Amino acid sequence: MSEIDRRSFLKRAGGVGLGGIAAGYGLGAATTANASESEAEMAGRVNAAELADRRDFDGVHQAGILPPAASFATFLALDSICGGRAELMGALQTISSRARELTRGGAFPVEEYDAPPADSGTLGPVIAPDGLTVTIAFGASLFDGRYGLAARKPAHLTAMSAFPHDDLDPARTGGDVLLQIAAGHQDTVAHAVRELARPVRAELAPRWTMAGAVGAQRGPSPHSSRRNHFGFRDGTSDPDVTDPKVMDRLVWAERGGAEPAWTADGTYQVVRTIRMHVEFWDRVGLHEQEEMIGRKRDTGAPLGGTGEFENPRFDLDPRGERIALDAHIRLANPREPATIDQRILRRAWNYSQGLDPAGQLDVGLLFVAFNQNIQRQFTAIQERLNNEPMIDYVTPEGGGYFFAPAAARHPSDWVGSPLFA
Amino acid sequence: MDILFPNCDDYVTLVFGNDPVTPPRRAVLSVAAVRFGRTPRNPPAVVAIAIAAATLAALLAGCGSSSPEPVARSIRTIGAHPDITVEEVTGGHLSVQQEAAIAMERTKNPGPGGDLQPLHAEDFVKPVAEYRRYSEREAKAVQRHVESLQGDIAAGDVGAAKRDWLDAYDHYLRLGAAYGALGTLDEQIDGNSGRLPDGVHDPDFTGLHRIEMGLWTGEPTAGLRSPAAYLARRVAHLQVAVRRIAISPLTYATRAHEILEDAQRDMLSGVDAPWSGAGLRATVDSLAATEFVVRTLKPLLNGRGSTVEPVENELARFRAVVDSVRREHGGAWPALGALTQCQRERVDGSLGALLQRLDDVPGALEVKRTKPYPTIAEQRRERQ
Repeated sequence: MSEIDRRSFLKRAGGVGLGGIAAGYGLGAATTANASESEAEMAGRVNAAELADRRDFDGVHQAGILPPAASFATFLALDSICGGRAELMGALQTISSRARELTRGGAFPVEEYDAPPADSGTLGPVIAPDGLTVTIAFGASLFDGRYGLAARKPAHLTAMSAFPHDDLDPARTGGDVLLQIAAGHQDTVAHAVRELARPVRAELAPRWTMAGAVGAQRGPSPHSSRRNHFGFRDGTSDPDVTDPKVMDRLVWAERGGAEPAWTADGTYQVVRTIRMHVEFWDRVGLHEQEEMIGRKRDTGAPLGGTGEFENPRFDLDPRGERIALDAHIRLANPREPATIDQRILRRAWNYSQGLDPAGQLDVGLLFVAFNQNIQRQFTAIQERLNNEPMIDYVTPEGGGYFFAPAAARHPSDWVGSPLFA
Repeated sequence: MDILFPNCDDYVTLVFGNDPVTPPRRAVLSVAAVRFGRTPRNPPAVVAIAIAAATLAALLAGCGSSSPEPVARSIRTIGAHPDITVEEVTGGHLSVQQEAAIAMERTKNPGPGGDLQPLHAEDFVKPVAEYRRYSEREAKAVQRHVESLQGDIAAGDVGAAKRDWLDAYDHYLRLGAAYGALGTLDEQIDGNSGRLPDGVHDPDFTGLHRIEMGLWTGEPTAGLRSPAAYLARRVAHLQVAVRRIAISPLTYATRAHEILEDAQRDMLSGVDAPWSGAGLRATVDSLAATEFVVRTLKPLLNGRGSTVEPVENELARFRAVVDSVRREHGGAWPALGALTQCQRERVDGSLGALLQRLDDVPGALEVKRTKPYPTIAEQRRERQ
C-alpha cells in the first residue's frame, strides 16, 4: 500500500491521526506507553500456538481458496453505491489494504484519546493473524453498465437463477462484491468483518451476510471430514488441491478462449445458503437417511464399504443394489470419465441463525464451490441433483455466483486491479 | 380425551373420559404417561413416551411456565476409543448405528421377536380407494370455488374474492395425499414464486398464489382476470387427474406423516401463503387430510405395534389446540401474524409432537422388508 493510499484509508476510518499501524509487530514496530507488558511480549503471547498462523494476502492465488475450510467464516455481500469507476477502484483498493493488514496482524496504538479508535479493539491492542483469509470476489451485477465493465465480464459469470426446488430470497442472493472472511476463531472473523466494512461505508453497502462454522475435528483420523447438521460427513470426495495440474483443470480460470485476460489465476465461486430442515430429518430412519446420502452416517464410508475415503465403486453396482441410483453421492459425483471435468472444489460451513417463524431451527449449510466453469461444473451437478430424495429436507434460500480474481501480486497491488487496467 | 384451553395463562382442564381433573403439574405428567403408555415393549419407547408426556405437561401448563422435572434416563458408558468415553443417553447400551446394524441383520434372519411381517400391497387397495373418492370430492369443491372466484374478480368484488380464494385453497390442501403426485399441474395451481428465476415478476408465476398476491396487496381486479381464467382452466383437470393418480402403498403410508411435515415447513412458516397469512388455516386443512388418511389406514395399523393410539391422541390434541386458538379469535381462523407468541408456541409445539408420532406410521406399514445391501467386496467377487 502506498503512503497516499494509507492516508486516505485512515481518513475514511474516522479521521484519527494515526501515525503508523504497526505491521509485522512481532519484530517490534509500534510502541504503546500504557501497556503493562511490552508490545513485543504481548505479541509473543498472542502469536503463540493457534493464533500465530499467518496467511499471505499477496501471491498468485487468493489465500482463502485452496486450504481446508477454516473453523469460522462469514460471508459479506456488498452492493456498490459508488457514483463512478474511480470511487469503486478506491474502495476495492481500501478493502485489499485493510485485509492485508488484518491478515498480517499488528498493534493499533491509541494516539488521540478523545477520537474514535481506529480499531474496534475487540481483539485487544495486538491483533493476531489467526489464519485469517479475506477472499474477494465480484458478482455479475458489477459488470452491468455502471462502471464500464460490461465488456470485461468473465465468460461464465451470470446471476444465480433459481433451480426448481430453490426458494431464493432476493435480499439474500447476489451482490456486487463478496467477501469470504475466514479464520481460526469466531472473534477474529467478527472483528475483520467490522473493520473491513468500516472504511468503505460510502462506497459499498452491505447486502447480506451469513456466518458459519465447521465442526471440531473428532476423528477417527486427522483427515476425517467434518459433519454437517444432518450428521453426515461433508466434502469427502474433494479433488486433490496439492496437485497443480488438477487445480488448473478444475479450479483456475481457463487461459485464453472466451475468458478475458484479467481473469488469469482467478476462479468462479458459487455460494449457496441451504436451509436444512433438521426437525424433519430427525424423524427419518437411519437406513433411509443413509440410502439418500449413499454413505454410512458414522464412518462416512460408502454403503457396503469400510472407510470414508474408499471408492464407492459405482461401476460394480450399475443397478443401484448397494447405493441407490438417486443417492446424493452418486448424482453429485458419478465418477465416470465423462464427469471427471465436472468436479468442484467444495467448501462448507454449518450455519445457525435462530428460529424460523414456525419455531423451527433455522440452520443449514453455507455451501461454497470453487470451479473453472460454473455451467460445466456446478450447474451440471446441480441439475443432476434436482430431484434427489434429499431435496424434501433442504431449501436453498440464497447465495450467488461470483468470480474471485487472482491475489494482489505485491503489497502495493490490490485484488481486482487487472480488471481496471 | 379432550383438552381445553380456556385462556392461555389460565389453568388447564384435562378431561379423560368423563373425569375432569385439574391436577398439579407433576400429576399431569404421571396421568399422561399412564394414559399414553399402552404397555410399550422396550425401554426406549418408555423414554420416548415419558418425554412426550413431559412435553405435553409443559404445554398444557401454559406458556412461559417452568419446565417439568427432567425425565430420568439411564446413562451408560460404551467402549469406543481408549482415550474417549462415550456416554449413551438413549436408554439402551447400543449406538444408533449399532441398533441399525442389528436391525439389518434381523432382516436377513427374521425370527421370533424380529420385525413385523410386511403387509401385502393388496391391503392398501381399500384405503387408497376411499382416499380417491375423498380427494375427488375435494377436487370438485376446488373447482366450484375457483369458478366463484373468477366471477368475483370479474365483478370486482374483492371481499367475496378473498373468501372464495381461501375456500379454494382450503379444499386444494385437503387433497393432501395427492399433491405430491400431481406434478406440473400442482405447480400450475399452487406453485410459489421462489422457485422461479424472476420470482413474483416471472411470467410463470400463476395460479392461486398469483391471485393471492393481487387480492391482498390491493392490485386492481382487472389485472387478475387473466390469472383467474388460467387457474380455472387448470383446475378443470384436477378431478380427472386425482382419479388417475397412481398411489403406491409406500407413498400412501408416507403421506400420513408428510402432509403435515410440508405444512410445518411451508405453511406455518408463512412461506406458502405470504400475502393472505393463511398459514394456520392451511395447516388445519393439512390436518384434515392427515386425519382422513390415518382413518383409512387404521384397520391396517391395528395390531401392528403401538402406533395407532399415540397417533390418534396427538391428532386429537393438535385439533384441540387449533380449535382453542380459533375460539380465542372469535371463531375465525386468525392470520399467522395475528397469533400471540403463546398461541404460536402452542400450535408449533403440539404439531411438533404430533409429527414425532406420525413418523411411526410408514415404518409400521412396510410392504417389504428392508433389503440388506451387498458389500463392495461381495460385488467385486460376484464380478470375478
